[in-house]
Amino acid sequence: MDELKLSQVRAVTRRTFFNGMGAGIGAMALEALMAQEGKAQPPAPKQNAPLTPKKPHHKPRAKSVIYLHMSGAPPTLDMFDYKPKLVELNMKPCPQSLLKGERFAFIKGVPTILGSPHKFAQHGQSGAWVCDLLPHTASMVDDLTIIRSVVTDQFNHAPAEMFLYTGSAIPGDAAMGSWLTYGLGSENQDLPGFVVLVSGGTDPTGGKSLWSSGFLPSVYQGVQCRSTGEPILYLNDPPGLSRSERRRSLDALAKLNEAEAKQYGDPETLTRIAQYELAYRMQMAVPDVTDVRKESQSTLDMYGVKPGEASFAKNCLLARRMVEKGVRYVQLYDWGWDIHGTGPGDDLMTAFPNKCRDMDRAANALIKDLKQRGMLDDTLVVWGGEFGRTPMNEARGGSKYLGRDHHPHNYCIWMAGGGIKRGQVYGETDEFGYHVVKDKVGIRDLQATILYQMGLDPFTLSYPYQGLNHRLIGPTNEAQIRHELLS
Amino acid sequence: MQRSLALIGLGTGVLLGVAGLASPPKNGAKLAPIDFVRDIRPLLSQNCIPCHGSDDKKRQAGLRLDTREGAMGKLPSGHFAVVSKKPAQSALLQRLTAPAALRMPPVASGKKLSAQEIALLQRWVAEGANFANHWAFQKPVRPALPKVQNAAWGKNPIDAFILSRLEREKLTPNPPADRYTLIRRVSLDLTGLPPTPQEVTDFIADKSTNAYEKVVDRLLASPHYGEKWARMWLDLARYADSAGYGSDPLRPNLWPWREWVIRAFNTNMPYDRFTTEQLAGDLLPNPTPDQLAATTFHRNTMTNTEGGTDREEFRTAAVKDRTITTMQVWMGLTMGCAQCHSHKFDPISQKDFYSFFAFFNQTEDNDMPDERPTMPYHTEEQRRKLDSLKAELAQMQMAGDKAAIAAKQKEIEGIRTTALPVMRELSSDKQRKTTVLVLANFLQKGESVTASVPASFPRLPADAPQNRLGVAQWLVSKDNPLTARVAVNRFWAHLFGRGIVETEEDFGTQGAQPSHPELLDWLALEFMSKGWDIKGLLKTIVLSSTYRQSAKVTPLHLQKDSRNVLLARYPRRRLDAEGVRDQALLLSGLLSRKIGGASVFPPQPEGMWQAAFNGDRTYPTSTGEDRYRRGLYTFWRRTVPYPSMAVFDAPSREACTMRRQPTNTPLQALVTLNDPVYLELAQAMGRRIVQEGGATPESRVRFALQLVLARPPQSTQVQTLLQLYQAELAHFKAEPQAAESMAVKALGALPNGMDAAEQAAWTVVANTLLNLDGVLTIG
Repeated sequence: MDELKLSQVRAVTRRTFFNGMGAGIGAMALEALMAQEGKAQPPAPKQNAPLTPKKPHHKPRAKSVIYLHMSGAPPTLDMFDYKPKLVELNMKPCPQSLLKGERFAFIKGVPTILGSPHKFAQHGQSGAWVCDLLPHTASMVDDLTIIRSVVTDQFNHAPAEMFLYTGSAIPGDAAMGSWLTYGLGSENQDLPGFVVLVSGGTDPTGGKSLWSSGFLPSVYQGVQCRSTGEPILYLNDPPGLSRSERRRSLDALAKLNEAEAKQYGDPETLTRIAQYELAYRMQMAVPDVTDVRKESQSTLDMYGVKPGEASFAKNCLLARRMVEKGVRYVQLYDWGWDIHGTGPGDDLMTAFPNKCRDMDRAANALIKDLKQRGMLDDTLVVWGGEFGRTPMNEARGGSKYLGRDHHPHNYCIWMAGGGIKRGQVYGETDEFGYHVVKDKVGIRDLQATILYQMGLDPFTLSYPYQGLNHRLIGPTNEAQIRHELLS
Repeated sequence: MQRSLALIGLGTGVLLGVAGLASPPKNGAKLAPIDFVRDIRPLLSQNCIPCHGSDDKKRQAGLRLDTREGAMGKLPSGHFAVVSKKPAQSALLQRLTAPAALRMPPVASGKKLSAQEIALLQRWVAEGANFANHWAFQKPVRPALPKVQNAAWGKNPIDAFILSRLEREKLTPNPPADRYTLIRRVSLDLTGLPPTPQEVTDFIADKSTNAYEKVVDRLLASPHYGEKWARMWLDLARYADSAGYGSDPLRPNLWPWREWVIRAFNTNMPYDRFTTEQLAGDLLPNPTPDQLAATTFHRNTMTNTEGGTDREEFRTAAVKDRTITTMQVWMGLTMGCAQCHSHKFDPISQKDFYSFFAFFNQTEDNDMPDERPTMPYHTEEQRRKLDSLKAELAQMQMAGDKAAIAAKQKEIEGIRTTALPVMRELSSDKQRKTTVLVLANFLQKGESVTASVPASFPRLPADAPQNRLGVAQWLVSKDNPLTARVAVNRFWAHLFGRGIVETEEDFGTQGAQPSHPELLDWLALEFMSKGWDIKGLLKTIVLSSTYRQSAKVTPLHLQKDSRNVLLARYPRRRLDAEGVRDQALLLSGLLSRKIGGASVFPPQPEGMWQAAFNGDRTYPTSTGEDRYRRGLYTFWRRTVPYPSMAVFDAPSREACTMRRQPTNTPLQALVTLNDPVYLELAQAMGRRIVQEGGATPESRVRFALQLVLARPPQSTQVQTLLQLYQAELAHFKAEPQAAESMAVKALGALPNGMDAAEQAAWTVVANTLLNLDGVLTIG
């Protein structure tokens, strides 16, 4: 093939990719190549350019999701669901009626009631009750819908997280971020469409299964951006190899591969050439988006970010930077919320206030920042854990530290932006904070509502695998889009 | 019309790409008769069976449409859904076009039949409403060999089936691949490793008529053959070196089972025995240690050690996994949905699920962190040593020297054993009662069941015991319609990138139709009649003309059969995750050819291991040859799969994976360009190029190209790489520090006489070569 034809093939390959066009890069380039050869032009075979933006099912209210997950399940009875009754009965034996037929992870025998040791007050127009450990969150309640009635059916960490994010308590299904990128593609081809950011030094209990693409093609897998070392694994050129040398080797590689494409006529070869070009651009785009030094000092201070230091705050700021660049779904996991009270490292008086302090400031900064930039309307932010915690003190092995055991029957989350109602407190639990008495929100409702806000129909977004049309919301139609939460 | 009918009938779409091939009928030409399985069954399955199927709890209006009796019988309403040859009297057809309130499928279901689909159903009733059972549930029948025009092309019966279809579709097979292509292809396919330069030279020089067959025989006898096919089996068996779930503790004691699998393939253990020993080795009379070790197959299930979990909950989850995996692996059926409700599409009821579950519900294991029960496992070498020590001890005991006896006993005890988790049946007085679990919840027990195989399939053989051994015998019985088909389809898929049934994991009514049903049956019957001989099967396939075609894609191919379902060419495809690694190791000269043994820890980025509730955070990077072992020996931690292989679609092995879906992504490019492991291999290859590639840059480039592509290089390739080399050399001469990094950093000091700038440049060349499309693919 002469130089002219080669450059035309290259032009097609690159143009297709740069423009983020739909149909297969390889196929299109190959068509051009064969047309050059003067042969009959075949119809383009269906090839995937899997992450190019796709048409939603309906007009979306949000373009991106930022999900702030508090790994370990925060005690929301000590944050948003104020229960004076528990304070009144503090350290009294728990009524038998609450224990009958219940299973607990660690509580044995008859536990005592645990009133929150922290103070609560009402805030904002909505009058939402918020604990005094969360002053920044208290200041923004009128931007949030606080749901006090989320119910799950899992009470061990890994299965509960898996259920929340993949729709199945057993590993192997696709994550919400994978579903969204599968359904919608992503706005920026130089960055992954589904990014995962982990803080607190420990992976969430469910591990990497939580951002697995499951049965969906692995191109929809969540890509973990790491806080130390390379932001994405293997992103950096080997030490000693400069950008210009990498470019030179990629040019040689492209030339050899193009010759091969001509020899074998395999469209996949041209797709591969394009992937190497994309990788080259990603090597510049990712360090750029993850470089928080590009932010003003006041922004860094607002979040509480110290450049060079891994933290939940830094991940909140990164999430905003990524969404700004068109990343579809950013998932944060922050370790350290499993407040059992087995010692000062996981109790309500020491560990919990520390976690609250860092989270409160950063989450509030994220909302403020998105709002200031006019991005909050298009960005759905969700904050929450994987289940609730008991109204009783756990006292594992006679521990003197205060803490709560796992509890699936209710917990609180909040949502903001992306077409969510502002200044709403939704749902109610009984006076013990044990069961939901009003407006129960199931995990599948939550999943359905998030997909819906993003412009997807949760009931038809499916993928055929092993004889079943799999969906995030599971095989039954119990899920409901909760319009009460939407503005 | 013909065209759209074909499209409708093809269901999940294997053949979508070729549907247009059927020649359109001329005006007024007679329509081909309706084929129930192809045209009607998928329509009923998708639109009607969910409410009118085998699930009697969900069934509406007393109508079931999955059997002839159900569809033709009188309904409680007095109507008949289907009356043969009488469309006007068939309520089914009336309801399809009824006003919205009465229409089927109900408007609320969101399902809607198109006018063509309704016409198809009308024709079906008019033609007699022929019901045939799903093809895969009928025993295979030995097909007659089809006649072909080009009789000279075929080398064995496989080719007759492939060619007759091609001729029908007016396609001609590609010419045979050249010998260079062929030896690389078959070496990678049978052993997972490319040929060495010497092996290529030998084959090219061998002028005998059976030169290719000799290569095939050599590869089948290679110990690397077992490694390659064990890799396939490990995905099915969800083999991993950790227990999974949240804390994902390490399981450093599972590898002996992997060794068992490699050995089984290498000794060509017949597939029926391979099946029986893994499912029920412990129930065989006087089982050998190896037969016990085989049963670890079903101990690869996960164990949940997270604090506060209920043992029974996760024991039940493991037993469900065994039930589902057994059906998946051997019969290609998806049983998972039947744990909550009767299967919507296939004839497996919820009761069937728990009755089959009951066979697996009688083992001692109970989700314990220590993985009880285990057996003390000795490697073959240890066994030989033990035997000789015991013989010596016996002699000493005759002699009566107490001190010597004690010393010998101590020596025997000193041999380290591995505690290998195995299946062990509960004694008869401790057997569990099995019930249906309502909505699969282990706390909600429904009706009691006794162990039995799903009712729609042949019963257990008359002389088979009512336990896992009976299940194994049932699976490999000649009456089982699926086991042999599923097995041959899997081997076929590994050689051609796609099964004859594309949905390897689903042979049920929702699965894809076979592209070549007669070929599938021929292979299945041949496999069984030749004693389930795996090597024999593979040899037959790779000796066929179909397999030996060139991979060249023509415009006609793209136009008529872009997905290559009909195999008018060899299907070029990317190597799998382990294949990419293994090949780079071999080309660099660093590959360790050691077979078996414990899992190893090739380098991975820092800080990957930070699982919750688990202290195992230090990844103990291997040293010495263990850095360079084949991919299947890489320590497989479920929540943190080895990252560079995960990027190339290696699964987490949390559950049985029947087929990996190959992708082509930028993250893959980053691995083979930048992963320090691949840089190290490029450095080693760079040194090899200088040591073995002659004296001039050109001869070295030629050597390198020949090495990685296993064929003589073309002059344009040589020119491109020579230019790259010269430019890099000039650059690195000017940048000595960069040269030092590129040439030395991963692998260590250069041998005497090598120049850092030159080696840095060769490292770049090698790095480029390891990323060539032709290297990453098998063609």
